Amino acid sequence: MTADPLDTLRLPIVPVEPRSEFAETLLRRMQAVDQPERRATPTIRYFVRDLDAAVDFYRQLLGFEEELRPNPVFAMLYRGDLRLLLSVPGTYAGGHALPDGTLPSPGGWNRILLQVVDLDAAVEALRRAGVHFLDDRPSGVAVRQVLLEDPSGNPIELFEPATGYHERAR
Amino acid sequence: MGGDVDHPPASDPVVAIYRVALPQVYGYLLPRCGSASLAEDLVSETFLAAVTASRQGSLTGVNVAWLVGVARHKLVDHWRRVEREQRSLAAAEPLVADVDDPWDEWLDTEAAYAALARLPIPQRAALALRYLDGLAVAAVAEHLGRSIPATETLLTRSRAALRRQYREEHPDDS
Repeated sequence: MTADPLDTLRLPIVPVEPRSEFAETLLRRMQAVDQPERRATPTIRYFVRDLDAAVDFYRQLLGFEEELRPNPVFAMLYRGDLRLLLSVPGTYAGGHALPDGTLPSPGGWNRILLQVVDLDAAVEALRRAGVHFLDDRPSGVAVRQVLLEDPSGNPIELFEPATGYHERAR
Repeated sequence: MGGDVDHPPASDPVVAIYRVALPQVYGYLLPRCGSASLAEDLVSETFLAAVTASRQGSLTGVNVAWLVGVARHKLVDHWRRVEREQRSLAAAEPLVADVDDPWDEWLDTEAAYAALARLPIPQRAALALRYLDGLAVAAVAEHLGRSIPATETLLTRSRAALRRQYREEHPDDS
């Protein structure tokens, strides 16, 4: 059997240096590829008394999507990159008591902040839906912000960027 | 901290062999792409895909040969993309007899590469993988997502097409 003449087309690799600007730019892009842990989802847990009422509130009024609701005492919601876990205090892991028997409960002062495009319109819509505002007079430094409560009394801050607003560049 | 800010330690295995692998991967892609800008795009895709896989902790045995394999996949993906865009044109090409046409004269390889570059994408891809890269028919079939018999048919047809293209450019050779 004669050799295949097309075998002479074999093209071995001859190393070629690309442009140095290209090489350096690509290296920087490779070094900027995120580690998985840096991409981890920002997650917050809120305690609620009535899971159905809480899920309805966050979905219908604040733009969250329901991801999971595997049982009557836990739900996982998303709003963009933010993951919100809702737990009913009790025996179920997540809402369970501390070793000394203390049960978690809704409320307090710490809160999630949700950015909105038009604060006045958001306040107006939420007020019409009967949402309880702790403070509906927009105030703040570099933002305009208001404070409201979910049906279990967890505070939520809404804000709209204003002059001087800062975020880390992506 | 006495860290050298410009050159952080290359903890990633792909970043660690970047300087050595880059001219090999570029040297593989450049003559097969026929364009430096396309070769640069595919080099970028290759290394970024590799480093992404590596950051997810799913890689063992990162070396130059493996990266060239990734580059080959990226090249085939590129051909597929172009082929999809050109499908309507390709469908309008006249049908040709798919007889194998044995080459008996000595091949002018530069002219053969030039003829190859003018073939429709599926034929060019099959011949490049089989002859430029020296892959076995089964490996060509895997890259192209075809069965082995379909790949053998495609190779036969592609050889005949290359032969015609080559003759058009070298009418005096045969």
